[in-house]
Amino acid sequence: MFADSIEYFKKYDYSFLGLALTIFVLGVLNLYSATHSNPSLEGIYKTQIFYFFISMMIGVIVSFINPKNLFRYSYIIYGFNIFLLILVLVLGKIGMGAQRWLVLGPFRLQPSELMKISTVLALARWFCKANPERGLVLKDLIFPSFIAFIPAILIIIQPDLGTGLLILLIYAVLVYYRKLHWKSITILAFIGLISGGVMYKYGLKEYQRKRIQTFINPYADAKGSGYNAIQSEIAIGSGRLFGKGYMKSSQGALAFLPENHTDFVFSIFNEEHGFIGALFLIVLYLILLLRFIWLSTAVLHFYESIVVIGLMSIFFWHTLVNMSMVMGLMPVVGLPLPFMSYGGSSLLTFGVVIGLATSISNSRNLF
Amino acid sequence: MFAEDDIIKFHRRRVTIIAYIVTISFLVLVLRLWFLQIYKGETLHEYSVQNRLRKEVVRAPRGLIYSRNGQILVDNFPRFDAVVTRQFLKKRKKTIKRLSQILDISVKSIEKMIRKNSSQAKYIPITIKKNISSKEMALIETENSELPGVSVNAFISREYLHKEIGAHALGYISEISQEQLPKFRKRDKLDYRLGDFIGQFGIEEQWDRTLRGISGHEYVEVDALGRKNKYINTDNLFKGIEDQASIPGQSLKLTLDSDLQQAGYHALVGDEKNRAKFPNKVGSVVALDVKTGEILAMVSNPSFDPSQFSRGLSADYWSQLINDDNNPLRDRNIQEHYSPGSTFKPFTAIAALEEGVINEKSKIRCHGTFKLGRKVYHSWRKFGTEKVNIVDALMQSCNIFFYKVATELDIDVLAKYAKMFGLGSRSGISLPREVSGLIPTREWKMKRNGVDWQLGETLSCSIGQSYVLTSTLQLAIAYGAIANEGKVFKPIIVKEIIDRDGTVIEKRKAEVTREIKLKQSTWDLVKKGLYQVVNSPNGTAWWRRGFGLEMAGKTGTAQVVSSSADKIYDKCENKPYEQRHHGIFVGFAPFDNPRIAVASMVEHGCHGSSAAAPVVAAVINEYMEKYMPKEKRENEKKQTAQYRRYLAKRQQAEEAKKKEEQLEEDE
Repeated sequence: MFADSIEYFKKYDYSFLGLALTIFVLGVLNLYSATHSNPSLEGIYKTQIFYFFISMMIGVIVSFINPKNLFRYSYIIYGFNIFLLILVLVLGKIGMGAQRWLVLGPFRLQPSELMKISTVLALARWFCKANPERGLVLKDLIFPSFIAFIPAILIIIQPDLGTGLLILLIYAVLVYYRKLHWKSITILAFIGLISGGVMYKYGLKEYQRKRIQTFINPYADAKGSGYNAIQSEIAIGSGRLFGKGYMKSSQGALAFLPENHTDFVFSIFNEEHGFIGALFLIVLYLILLLRFIWLSTAVLHFYESIVVIGLMSIFFWHTLVNMSMVMGLMPVVGLPLPFMSYGGSSLLTFGVVIGLATSISNSRNLF
Repeated sequence: MFAEDDIIKFHRRRVTIIAYIVTISFLVLVLRLWFLQIYKGETLHEYSVQNRLRKEVVRAPRGLIYSRNGQILVDNFPRFDAVVTRQFLKKRKKTIKRLSQILDISVKSIEKMIRKNSSQAKYIPITIKKNISSKEMALIETENSELPGVSVNAFISREYLHKEIGAHALGYISEISQEQLPKFRKRDKLDYRLGDFIGQFGIEEQWDRTLRGISGHEYVEVDALGRKNKYINTDNLFKGIEDQASIPGQSLKLTLDSDLQQAGYHALVGDEKNRAKFPNKVGSVVALDVKTGEILAMVSNPSFDPSQFSRGLSADYWSQLINDDNNPLRDRNIQEHYSPGSTFKPFTAIAALEEGVINEKSKIRCHGTFKLGRKVYHSWRKFGTEKVNIVDALMQSCNIFFYKVATELDIDVLAKYAKMFGLGSRSGISLPREVSGLIPTREWKMKRNGVDWQLGETLSCSIGQSYVLTSTLQLAIAYGAIANEGKVFKPIIVKEIIDRDGTVIEKRKAEVTREIKLKQSTWDLVKKGLYQVVNSPNGTAWWRRGFGLEMAGKTGTAQVVSSSADKIYDKCENKPYEQRHHGIFVGFAPFDNPRIAVASMVEHGCHGSSAAAPVVAAVINEYMEKYMPKEKRENEKKQTAQYRRYLAKRQQAEEAKKKEEQLEEDE
């Protein structure tokens, strides 16, 4: 029995947890530097450590789940999560307040965060059974599109455009992985472009449209998000090759850079550690992502392979969108940088993602 | 069926492409980093070290407030503060010494002020002297380079030109508080910041969003010493960056007439030189245009000076306000409710007439007491008079008449009529924190006390005592509805919303919330009764009829504490202040074609006739003088003639009596 568990822990895949911990350590040090001069954010790093601890615990617990059970309960998890999303909307309507949170005693649960994962599970469950031996054509997309669009729409009307679109991006990666024909991809890309245009014109709120305009010309912005973009670029650029040194950020410290503890943490990191430091961090993220991708080819079941690609895409889009936004490559959308940005619910999501990946990796040898 | 690993192999190519896409995306990020940090690094570094771009909020000028005649009631004036920013305070000693000379404040106290704020972030400016003179400002500006860290902050002070008069209606603005900040951000979805001034009372509060405008911002380059170097111009990184001009707030034209406001306020405040005759009355007065539902005057006393709040309230003034037992920060027109006393009787009369309990011919003897079971109800006069009808009962305010009527009226029926006239519910005027008052019903009492309604309570309610509570504004509206025979208004106080360039954006009209349909005879009888109150020598307000007013109305005296039977006829003026009755008067004028209804309540004023009626008469007098001078002159003539006739009649009667007596003596 004892020997068994030693064997178990020898075969346990620590790579995901280890990489996450490494990034988090850099993240929390950076968070301390970004907030130490702001009295209202003092001590926020302690909260972050606490959240990280909790989410890693949950991640480890998740890593002991047998992927077979994941497979079995995919739709139930998905359905329950959809129910929570609707509940949030209904309660929000009644309370006339924010419509993102479910309050459970001392905890505030954001169902849209977990929805990213639930959608991946449900889509994987569908795709692994629907003629996996051939590529997809357009009509194969009818049912899975429902799986992806229902939560996306529910989240967008919360309103949380960023997370809603993220789910669609994840869906896109999975569809691509499931060998959608190139012809179909071309058609979809075309439709996507048109509907994007229509969305921009009619579907977006004023502030969201402004952000896109700001992105196109940040220097002529009226609302002030162009200001963030410019200040962020100054912060990053002023780091030059080696950076200004730890705790020496001036842009952030002087409150020139707003939101420097959530969405804009990466620019503070760049300012202080320069090109070299940023390169190091980017390589860390890349290793983690490639580890996911490698795992997707090494698993024994197709379901698990799809899940891993899905989890990878959650991680990938967050990282790419956040970094691009901070560097002025994309409009400002509020997506956090995994394990770097302050925030309990995003830490929880990534903790579960890491836990699921570890569980799937372990299942190759253990279950 | 394929094996699982064949399927995975089948998808390998796509995985490889995904891996490439991920890697290439990250390469693009690295390229961008290289562009920013290596290629443009020097330039951007320069910016972050030497020059800082600061975004400064430009607050929108707040809209002005005008009276109905276009006079400015609330205005904005520029004021200047001298401030020190610690972050840039180099050459500290020299700078502070020079600053102390300029501002005429000792070095020590400047140091003290800076130390007091040392826990704040260094870049937050500390105010050294408020409201500096233009000379001081000029000195600071010219010696700018010698005074690093010192600057002048301009701000706009909100000034209320009539000070205490009507302060409650206008309200005040003051800095948003720490507690309000998150609440209001959520409520208004506006990015309020500390230091923002927002409306906290009255029209300033209710109409804050209209008045405040939208603040803009401008970008200022600040050098390492915190001095504004130049505004962003061409040829640098920020080329093309745009400032955003603020959008000024919209102005309001009120329905208030400042002359009527003055008249009402002075009638309440009295005359300091002759306190015996003109005491300072704690109370309020409100006037309503009965044709349009516009509030013409709305004054409450004691009051406060709203300008003080926008200048930064001194601790002294604040403690003085909140420690005053008479609570100057309360608008007694809408934020307080009282027993209406006898001013409620017309509504009892209307209910009785409409329900057929009485008609114009019904007469009841006005005894001094009325017994119901074991309880004895008193009239306000000790000795009963002759039998009276409804008109006379109103005129003399005969309690017994209404007690008897009430025994045949169910409380729910009485409540139905009172509520019809808007009593016991919020008028819906766009001012904050209006109270609703109360008109009791059986259901209400059951809910509240769990006890059944008692007939005796109906009696008390019929003369406006017991549970009945109304606000002064409600009384004005209800009497307005009697005056115009049925129109109950949701009154307005803002008449027009005006843009900065003077164009009228919105004209507002008062809604008629209810059209009451009653028998014409009911209107006529009640109105006649109210007319007699003021214009018959036997009426309770005969001595307050004024000159040429053609006023109708009703006095009311509300007991504050119920007094025992033996004390009921004690002179009110001899009681301790807190135990004296509230005096109430509500009236409208001119009688034939009513234009204005006015209600006044004077706390512990003892009698409606002596305390409140003069206030109402003063406001109506001002109205008639201003808007209907011709009619007033005619009325005056008519009144004089009538009075002469009355005197002559009385003289004749006296002479006849004397003659009789003489005859008797002779015999």
